Amino acid sequence: MLWVDKYRPKALDQMAVHEDVGQNLKKLVSEQDCPHLLFYGPSGSGKKTLIMALLRQMFGSSSDKVKVENKNWKVDAGTRTIDIELTTLSSTHHVEMNPSDAGFQDRYVVQEIIKEMAKNRPIDTKGKKGFKVLVLNEVDKLSREAQHSLRRTMEKYSASCRLILCCNSSSKVTEAIRSRCLNIRINAPGEDQIVKVLEFIAKKEGLQLPAGFAARIAEKSNRSLRRAILSLETCRVQQYPFTINQAIPPMDWEEYVSEIVSDIMKEQSPKRLFQVRGKLYELLINCIPPEIILKRLLHELLRKLDAELKHEVCHWAAYYEHRMRLGQKAIFHLEAFVAKFMSIYKAFLIATFG
Amino acid sequence: MSDIRKWFMKSHDKGNGNAKLGKPASIDSGKPPPAKSQPDKPVHPVQENSARKKTSKYFAADKQKLKDEIEPEEVSTKRKSQKDIEQSLKPPPSKKMHTVEDDDDNDDDFVLPTPKNSSDVTPSKKLKSSSGRGVPKKLVDLEESDDDDHKDAKSPPKSGGRGRGGRGASAAPAGGRGRGGGGRGGFMNFGERKDPPHKGQKEVPEGAPDCLAGLTFVISGTLDSLEREEAEDLIKRHGGRVTGSVSKKTNYLLCDEDIEGRKSAKAKELGTTFITEDGLFDLIRSSICTKTPVQEKSKGTEKAVPSLAKKTPQKADPKSVSPQGLASDSCAALKKDQIIKPSSLTWTEKYRPKVPNDIIGNPSLVTQLHNWLAHWNEQFLDTGKKGKGKKQTDPGAKKAVMLSGSPGIGKTTSAKVVCQMLGFQAVEVNASDSRGKADGKISKGIGGSNANSIKELVSNESLSVNMDWSKHPKSVLIMDEVDGMSAGDRGGVADLIASIKISKIPIICICNDRYSQKLKSLVNYCLLLNFRKPTKQQMAKRLMQIAKAEGLQVKEAALEELADRVNGDIRMALNQLQYMSLSMSVINYDDMKQRLLSSAKDEDISPFTAVDKLFGFNGGRLRMDERIDLSMSDPDLVPLLIQENYMNYRPSAAGKDDNGIKRLSLISRAADSIANGDIINVQIRRYRQWQLSQAGCLASCIIPAALLHGQRETLEQGERNFNRFGGWLGKNSTMGKNLRLLDDLHDHLLASRESNSGRKSLRVDYLSLLLKRLTDPLRVLPKDEAVTEVVEFMNLYSISQEDFDTIVELSKFKGHPNPLDGIPPTVKSALTRLYNESSRSRMVRAADLVTLPGVKKAPAKRIAAILEPSDDVLGEQNGDALAESEDENSSDTEDQEGAANGGKKLQLDLEGLNSKAIKVELDLKGKENSSAKKKPAGRGRGGSGSTAAKRGGSGSTPATKRKR
Repeated sequence: MLWVDKYRPKALDQMAVHEDVGQNLKKLVSEQDCPHLLFYGPSGSGKKTLIMALLRQMFGSSSDKVKVENKNWKVDAGTRTIDIELTTLSSTHHVEMNPSDAGFQDRYVVQEIIKEMAKNRPIDTKGKKGFKVLVLNEVDKLSREAQHSLRRTMEKYSASCRLILCCNSSSKVTEAIRSRCLNIRINAPGEDQIVKVLEFIAKKEGLQLPAGFAARIAEKSNRSLRRAILSLETCRVQQYPFTINQAIPPMDWEEYVSEIVSDIMKEQSPKRLFQVRGKLYELLINCIPPEIILKRLLHELLRKLDAELKHEVCHWAAYYEHRMRLGQKAIFHLEAFVAKFMSIYKAFLIATFG
Repeated sequence: MSDIRKWFMKSHDKGNGNAKLGKPASIDSGKPPPAKSQPDKPVHPVQENSARKKTSKYFAADKQKLKDEIEPEEVSTKRKSQKDIEQSLKPPPSKKMHTVEDDDDNDDDFVLPTPKNSSDVTPSKKLKSSSGRGVPKKLVDLEESDDDDHKDAKSPPKSGGRGRGGRGASAAPAGGRGRGGGGRGGFMNFGERKDPPHKGQKEVPEGAPDCLAGLTFVISGTLDSLEREEAEDLIKRHGGRVTGSVSKKTNYLLCDEDIEGRKSAKAKELGTTFITEDGLFDLIRSSICTKTPVQEKSKGTEKAVPSLAKKTPQKADPKSVSPQGLASDSCAALKKDQIIKPSSLTWTEKYRPKVPNDIIGNPSLVTQLHNWLAHWNEQFLDTGKKGKGKKQTDPGAKKAVMLSGSPGIGKTTSAKVVCQMLGFQAVEVNASDSRGKADGKISKGIGGSNANSIKELVSNESLSVNMDWSKHPKSVLIMDEVDGMSAGDRGGVADLIASIKISKIPIICICNDRYSQKLKSLVNYCLLLNFRKPTKQQMAKRLMQIAKAEGLQVKEAALEELADRVNGDIRMALNQLQYMSLSMSVINYDDMKQRLLSSAKDEDISPFTAVDKLFGFNGGRLRMDERIDLSMSDPDLVPLLIQENYMNYRPSAAGKDDNGIKRLSLISRAADSIANGDIINVQIRRYRQWQLSQAGCLASCIIPAALLHGQRETLEQGERNFNRFGGWLGKNSTMGKNLRLLDDLHDHLLASRESNSGRKSLRVDYLSLLLKRLTDPLRVLPKDEAVTEVVEFMNLYSISQEDFDTIVELSKFKGHPNPLDGIPPTVKSALTRLYNESSRSRMVRAADLVTLPGVKKAPAKRIAAILEPSDDVLGEQNGDALAESEDENSSDTEDQEGAANGGKKLQLDLEGLNSKAIKVELDLKGKENSSAKKKPAGRGRGGSGSTAAKRGGSGSTPATKRKR
């Protein structure tokens, strides 16, 4: 089993990071009622782990017995019927799903499917915990309409259903939804915390960690615990026993992005832009989300950039990220960003060096 | 030469503009557009002079010209000191407007009378009148304002007083010369044609309107300063012809470098004269001198003309009276007195061919029709005398004939003319008549419905109510527009066929599209004559005759252009011509081009053509509605094509751009705009804001094209210089496919209950480790150990073989090594074997919990089936799994049984077919077939046992599988 999964804390008490949040959550659900929850924070900070542990706290081990279902729904949308296929992960007490998978039809998911699920009150023999939990992932990817429909559902069926929402950025969740939830921000763990976790795992696995190695991994992980553990294991697969200056292999796609960046820095011409487009397509085809590409692109560019350009480039990256969300064809916006950068950078180079 | 001109202009500016004392050199480099612009409007002054000669005799044009030629050297050297001389000079400045005013200046110096000035004050009038140059001048005007800003910003000190400084220099991009040139030169552009080495650096001379008349040119290779399109335009403007290949008729081969191509070889063989670009310019320039006497001569007639012209107000618009126009059309003017009174008939009716020979094109078809009609009677009616089957091979063997072809090429006319020739009475029935099925009883039809009268007509020759048969003993039925028989004409075609069968008169059917579905049955009964479009030469010839008859002076090149544009539709061409004749009596190539620009025939534009046009070297001159039309020709595809190709264009707007900054910033703006288009498109599609579609097409097509139109260049080696098809579609579908695969993998991982990650983090974070865990052991560890480890890992996360492939596929990057490199094939096959083996003993695979669309069994039952020990063999029959869903206990074993049997069969087959090659795989198969059933059926398969076995089989041949 991968270490990420192997050493994932199962209970709220065992949290390695965010112990305080874990304790608070425990207190929260030990009382009868529990509000809707919205977990947000960067990826790899432990949102999912907390949610799972929370469910376990609420329903006991039965929440572990999940089954995966690929369901087809036929939704009647006025003049036509829409087929929606969704994967759900459900136990007797909770259903987890990713409504944004339905693309721009996500509002039908919210309007029909979630409502349907929320309506059905589970029968509980003991008479307590008479509600069921819906875990919705990536709420920030939901379209505005879907979010609007969601807020009605949250109020109307609050008697029988609790929603746990999970997303990266709360800014993309509408105010209305945020105000209906208990917002829980999950910070990215600090590097020292990551180091601690890595050392813990190494101890359990009986590995010899050279001094500073864990710190290097933590540094490279971008404060994502998941990344850190995964790269520790990658290193382990690659070479063991560890050496002090063992290279920590970057993710395949990150490597590719930095290639693109060095391409861009080397030459700014239509020809190069064309090649970059090809590479961006390659990344997209390999299912790397465009926002992540853009973010990484900016990150890499900033590392190589002159200080006076940094601000401007950041501005444009934000600008194009916003537009990418408004649009549909991500490549257009990525390309526009690269073109913009090339034009700025070239002008800068010529102004500076003639 | 060009340099000298440049100097000239500079100094002149300086002299006249008074204020502009700046250093020419710096201006030169600082203002690319002006520099480039100069060649644009070269020898105008010369012509201007000659033109003026007609009006003012005091003018010493010849002397001036001489001076022109002598002075340059001197001036260029002593420029700075000799302001005075310069001022009195007649330098050939760069632009028309400029020159006009230049001359003005000088005229003042020469104390010239005022009438001249008045004509300058109203330049627009003059523009139109100077027949040969209407277009370019206008364009200059249009673009001037833009450039003015530009220029003014750069050279503030220039005197605004006359308002000439800015204009003079700004002529630059006007003519579309220089950078703007190009677009795509049709088929000649296979490889990338090199840019002209001195692109836009020479002045293009302006000669007498038809100084090249009668000469045929062929252009070969790269010219010195002109784009090929420009050269063609130049030649055509002066009345010459440009053809594609060298023939005996070719007078000149225009080429600057001998590229030893086919053209030059042929030309050498035929002894064609080679001419360089400079030679061509000289030729054109020299025409002015030679023309002069002619113009002088014509002056006598000139005075007579206006009065004559006024008599026919329709023809003689005041503009044609302008001296320049008259210079060339004096003969036309002479003719005008015999002009026919404008009749109410349209030309299309008036000049409808009267005899078959008048029909343009398709002579053989007309003859065929003629023969058919001529022999019709003896063939089908006089059976008694001649015997019917006598001439079976004769085309007349069919009782009806069908003429097909695009509109306006003379089908109906041919039919009518031929009928008339042979003395047949033509009865025409067209779409305006109802042509439904006839009533059964003919008797009712007399005087009744049209259909009935047709019936009657065809069945009985002598009976008629409407026609006077005594005069025309023979009649022909012309069914026009048969493909238009529709809705209202129920059973029309069938009835027509029936009519043909019983007909006693010939029937001519006419349609546009012979392959129309409606006519499928009809064509069997008809002799098919497919009319082709007449060539442009044929059309031009006929049009010329008509123009002559109408007293219209038209250049042949203009007519060919017209014929070319109307796409073979001669009716359209005539209508155009007639319309133009209302406003002008002399039509030149440029007039025609201008006219047709606005009223080109609507034709189906493919997205590629649309993109070509938008980006083409004329792209900047299209009107907005034309651009919208082009981009709306396919609102989905055109934006994609634009997006795919916009980087390939060298924008003419960038001008001279050494380091490419301008181009990059233009590209960036275009990319922004394309991205805007995407955002608008979302609004349109998702929120059904269709009113935004114009804004969308503006953002996604028109703005990028407007920014970047210019010449296309290739970005990759070996790429053909054509617009690529939009890559987005393909990439998007691949992305969709991969996302689905990733989804599958994700589902399986979730189902294994070991992991709980999202899909995004699965790809972004997990995937490289998964890949490492799956492939690294195969590379380093000994075979058995490695395989066991990997299979264990796969089982743990319920990763199936398909998922394995998905992981590998998603980790592939172009230019990076394949993740599977370095794994020996034996290890791969061992992996597959072990995986399949172990899947036999595998307990409830979590992945099986997933409800798979297409599998009927409920998961619970399937699990139960799987859990059942597979030893007790119950069923012998190869029943399929679907049928036995009732019997939970036996289903699994039966499945396996079926699988095994199927597998054995398969194995036998294979053994029979190829004995050796697959041996290794065969024993794999033997083992794996028995366990084939429990392979996780990725999605929605898992039908009968035997299919499962087959799938197992394919899975077990790793070599082939990997290749996929």
